[in-house]
Amino acid sequence: MPLKWRVTLIVALCALSLWALFPRDVTIRSRNAQGILQNETVRRVPLKKGLDLSGGMYLALEVDDSKQKIAPSAKGEAIDRALKTVRTRLEGYGTSETVVEKQGNDRIVVSIPGISDEERARKLVEDQAFLEFKITDKTGALERALPKLDQVVKQHGLVTKTSGDTSNATLSPATKGLQGLLTAGDTSKKSDSSKKVAAAAAKDSTSADSLKLQAGGGFSSLLQAGQMPGEFYVDNSQTSTLERLLEDSSVAAALPPGKQLLPSTDSVSLQGKTYRAFYVVDSKPIMTGDHLKSAQPNSNTMDGTVVEFELDNVGGRTFRTQTGNHVGDYMAIILDGRVMGRPPVIQSAIGTRGQITMGGKSLADAQDLALVLRAGALPVPLRVAQSQKIGPTLGDDSIQKGQTASIIAVTLVIVIMLVYYRFSGMLAVGGLLLYILYTLAALASFDAAITMPGIAGFVLSIGIAVDANVLIFERIREELVHGKTVRTAIDEGFRHAMPAIIDSNVSTILTAAVLYQYGTGAVKGFAVTLIAGIFASLITSIFVVRTFYLLWLNRSRGAQTLSI
Amino acid sequence: MLRILHDTSYDFIKFWKQSVIGTIAFIVLGLILLGVHAARHNGEALNRSVEFTGGTVVQLHFAKPADGNVVRGAVDAAGFNGAEVTTFGAPTDYMIKAPPKEGAVAAANADSVGAHIIDVLKQRAPDNPATVQQAQSVGPRVGQELTTKAITAVLISFIVTLIYLAIRFEWRFGVAAVIATAHDILTTLAFLAMMRLEISLTVVAALLTVIGYSLNDTIIIFDRVRENLKKQRKESLREVLNRSINETLPRSVLTHATVLAATIALLIFAGEVIRPFSWIMAFGVFTGTFSSIYVAGPLLLWIEHKWPRSLDTQNKGQAKARSEERKRDRTPVGAP
Repeated sequence: MPLKWRVTLIVALCALSLWALFPRDVTIRSRNAQGILQNETVRRVPLKKGLDLSGGMYLALEVDDSKQKIAPSAKGEAIDRALKTVRTRLEGYGTSETVVEKQGNDRIVVSIPGISDEERARKLVEDQAFLEFKITDKTGALERALPKLDQVVKQHGLVTKTSGDTSNATLSPATKGLQGLLTAGDTSKKSDSSKKVAAAAAKDSTSADSLKLQAGGGFSSLLQAGQMPGEFYVDNSQTSTLERLLEDSSVAAALPPGKQLLPSTDSVSLQGKTYRAFYVVDSKPIMTGDHLKSAQPNSNTMDGTVVEFELDNVGGRTFRTQTGNHVGDYMAIILDGRVMGRPPVIQSAIGTRGQITMGGKSLADAQDLALVLRAGALPVPLRVAQSQKIGPTLGDDSIQKGQTASIIAVTLVIVIMLVYYRFSGMLAVGGLLLYILYTLAALASFDAAITMPGIAGFVLSIGIAVDANVLIFERIREELVHGKTVRTAIDEGFRHAMPAIIDSNVSTILTAAVLYQYGTGAVKGFAVTLIAGIFASLITSIFVVRTFYLLWLNRSRGAQTLSI
Repeated sequence: MLRILHDTSYDFIKFWKQSVIGTIAFIVLGLILLGVHAARHNGEALNRSVEFTGGTVVQLHFAKPADGNVVRGAVDAAGFNGAEVTTFGAPTDYMIKAPPKEGAVAAANADSVGAHIIDVLKQRAPDNPATVQQAQSVGPRVGQELTTKAITAVLISFIVTLIYLAIRFEWRFGVAAVIATAHDILTTLAFLAMMRLEISLTVVAALLTVIGYSLNDTIIIFDRVRENLKKQRKESLREVLNRSINETLPRSVLTHATVLAATIALLIFAGEVIRPFSWIMAFGVFTGTFSSIYVAGPLLLWIEHKWPRSLDTQNKGQAKARSEERKRDRTPVGAP
C-alpha cells in the first residue's frame, strides 16, 4: 500500500474516532425528586457507563411457578410476551437508558441506571396487573359456610400449625375487644358510600358474631363482620395466617361454591388497632382488564388518589350490560387478587369509563398503577431471581480510582517502552496513544457500557497491547544483529513476528468471545473491552507503527542505524 | 541499544523435574488449604460470592470508622444471624454477607435488608450514620446456574482454543498448551485458597484472562519452535525448545514487565472492588510465564516421545532431518 494511503487511512481513523468521542447533546429522561418525568439535555462524551459505575438497579426476573405449575416449554413463550409488557411498563417509568432484555431462555434482565428505589421497581415488574371486576356477595354465603370451614381447619390441624409462626399470642383479647368496638366503630370511620346498607351490615355482623360464639373455631375466630354484606375485618397481625389458610386446598374446597374470599388493599383502624378488610366475591368476574384502553392517575377531593380508566368499545358494551344487571350490588375492583379500595355500590349501568380508588396511596403509586394497567397484564407471574443496587457514590469512587490506575499504568508502560526501545519505543508510544483513542471510540460506537471490570480489562490491555510491538521490535533487533540493512530488518521483523501476533491474539479473542457469550452484566462489559482492545492493538501495532517506520525511512533515506 | 537477557542459552528444560515438583507442591498445598477452609466454613471450601451461593450481600459505608462488634451486633439483631461481617478495604466500610433464607425460591429484597440493618444501627450508634453503598441479592437457583455457566465458559474456551491450536499448529502443541493452561487454573485456585479471595463473576473473568494470557505466552514460544523446526537444524526437539525459549526471552521479560506494571497499578490504585481481579492477574503473569516454559515445554517433549510425528504429517525436509537424527542417535528424542 502506498505510504500516502497509509497516512490517509490513519488520519481518517483518528478523525472518525474523535468524531465518535466528541461530546454531544444527549437527552436523558429521568425522574426528579418529586417523581415527575422530565427531559434533560446534557452535553457529554458518548461513553455509556455500566450500572456499577453509574449507580442504579439490576433485576433478573424469572417465571414464578410457586403458585401454579407452568410447563418448561411454555415458559420461553411466556417470557417473550412478558418481556414486551415489562419493557412497556419500564419505558413509562424509568430513565431513557433503561435496558430490558431476555437472557437465556427463561429470564428477563432489567437494568435501570440512576434509580435506586428497589421496592418500587420490584412492584412495577412483579405485579401481574390482572384486573378483574367482581360482584361482592350479599347472601351471607360465607357465614353459612363458617362451621364447615372451622371443622376443616380443626381436622387438618391448620391453625395450630400456622398460628405458631405468627407469634401472636393475643388472639382472644383482640377478638373480644372488637366485638365491643363494632357497634361504636361506625361513627369513627370515614364516611363511605356504604352507609345506605349500614342496617344490613349490622344484621350480618350479629349473625356472624353469634356463629363465632358458638363455634369459636380456628377459621371464624379470625374474622369480624364488616359494615357491608360480604365484608370482614381481620386483625392486621393475623392477615397472613388467614391468607395461608385460604391457600390450603381443603379450605378452598370448603368455601361456598362459586365464591372467593379476597383481601383488600385497605386497612381500617379502630381505636388504635388496625384491621384489614376481606371481601367475599363471586369467583366469576363480570369483566377483566383485557379491554382496557387507557389509564390515567388523578386525584380529587372526594376519593383522594384514583386511577381513571377507559375501556374500548367491546369492553364498554359488556361492562354496561353487566353492571346494568347488578344495580344495587357492590362491585369489587380486583388487581392481582387484591380488592382495590372499598367496593362501591353500582348506582346505574356503567359505560366505558371508571375509576379505581387508591385509598391513602400517593400519586406516585397511582402513576405506577396506571402505567402497569396501560402496559397490560403479565401473561405469567414473575419473581425477582436476582437484584442488585449500586449507590451513586460507589460508582463515582470507582471511576475516579479507575482513572488513576489507568493513568499510572499508561505512564509506566510508556516509561518502560521509551527506556528500552528509545526511538522505536517512541513510535510504539505513538501507536499506544492511538490504540487508546481507537479503543474508546470503538466502545462508544458499539454503545458498549463501561464497567469496572471493563476498566480493569482496559488497563490490562494497555500492558498487553505493547506485546505485539515488543515482538516486532525484538525481531527487528535479531535481523539487525544478522547484519541486515535497516529497511530490510524492519520489513523482515514485521513479517516474522506476524504469525505469533495473529495466533496469540486470535486465541485471546476466542476466550473473550466465550466470556461475552456466557457472561452477564459487568463481565460482558469486560469481554467487549477486551475484544475492542485486541482489534485496536492489532491495527496500531501492525499497521500504524509500520507506517511510522516507513515515514521515518522516507525522511532519513539511507539511515544506517536504527534506535531500537 | 539496551538489552536484557540477550542471546542467552540457558538450559531451561534441565530443571523440569524440580519445577514439576515445585508446582505440584504448590497445588497440593492449595488443595489442603481448601480442605481446611471447608472444615472451617461449613463445607464452603472456596470463598464464593453471593452470585454463586445465593443470598444477600450489603455493603455499608460509615461516616466514621465503625466498631466491628457494633456492626456484628446490629446485623444479628436485624435477624441475619448466619451473616458474615467483614471490613471492606477501610474501617469505614463493611461487607455483610447473609446466606439465602431456608426454602426461599426468589431473591430476598436486598434493599430492605440493607435498610433494616441501617435502622438497627441508627438506634445503636446514632452518631455514626451509615449508608448502603451496594446491595445484591441472588436467588439460590440463579446461583447454581451461574456456577454452571462459569464452568461451561471455562470448558468451552478450552475446547475452542484446542481446536484453534490444532488447526494452526498441530494437535501435540494444542494438547501441551491446553494442559499448561489447565495447570494455570489449578495454581490460580491454590492461590485463591491461600489468599482466601472471594470468587465472584469478575474473578472468573480474571481467571479466563489469565488463561488467555498464559496461552498467548505459550503460543509465542511454540511459534518459535514451529519456525525453528522448519529451519532443518540438526537439533533434538529439546534443543529446539531450549533455543526457542531463549530467543523469546527478551520479549517475555519486557511484555511481562509492562503487564505487571499495569496490574500493579490496578492493585494499588483501582480500589477494593476490583482488587481480587487485580490479585489474580498479578499471579497470572507469574503462573502463565512459568507454565509456558516448564509445563508446556516438557509436555510437548513427552507427547513427542510417546507419539512421535510420522513422516506424512510434517514438512518433508524437516522430517528427513529428524529421522536421520534419530537413526544417528539411536536414542529416543526429546525424552526429558
